[in-house]
Amino acid sequence: MGFFDKLFKGPQIDTAKSDANAKKMRALFDHVVENGADYRLIYGYTEDVSRFNYGFVHGSKTKIGNLIVGWNEATDTIVAVPTVPDLSGCGEPTYYRRADILKAYRNKYPTDAFVIYPDKRGYIAINAYDWLEDESLYVYVSQDEALAAFTDYFMNRFAKK
Amino acid sequence: MPWEELPWLALTLLGLVILGHLWFHFVEALLARAKRLLFGPPAPQVWHELPDEKEETDGP
Repeated sequence: MGFFDKLFKGPQIDTAKSDANAKKMRALFDHVVENGADYRLIYGYTEDVSRFNYGFVHGSKTKIGNLIVGWNEATDTIVAVPTVPDLSGCGEPTYYRRADILKAYRNKYPTDAFVIYPDKRGYIAINAYDWLEDESLYVYVSQDEALAAFTDYFMNRFAKK
Repeated sequence: MPWEELPWLALTLLGLVILGHLWFHFVEALLARAKRLLFGPPAPQVWHELPDEKEETDGP
């Protein structure tokens, strides 16, 4: 019955790996963001979908951008730090202060991404899930509680029309 | 379709898939080269490496 047990149990999260990645996320975030310890963190990603048509072949390309997303409820600020799936490094943070942004909302279709318009010219759509298994594309981290907290904060405090 | 022809059909389709992939990567490489020629190399992105874990000591 071992095989069927595995089948019905579903995927098992490697807690040690998840905790190690959570520590790396915290280390990277605190390294580049001032007072980083004041922020709670989740892992999110962006999807950049574009179409191509090269005659014989055509289709769509999806570029995944990995992010460490921090939020500070006291200052109503969300910070996005670009990174890579193995968390070997990160880029420069981008700050989204609620007072300065144009609008923020949770999308419904086609994805339930958290959308922030810093101004009229562009937006960022942050996708976030409890856990994603594909380590070649996403950071391996389990974040049920943190994601629920972020969702609650974003929907009830940060959202802006 | 006769059973004997199925392996050939599968091979033909596989060949088309491989050719399609090769064509895609070929065109992408050409476009990347054209972009570099027209717009120059992309600006280097600021990148921070993961800091080493500091060893905690209890003092002398």
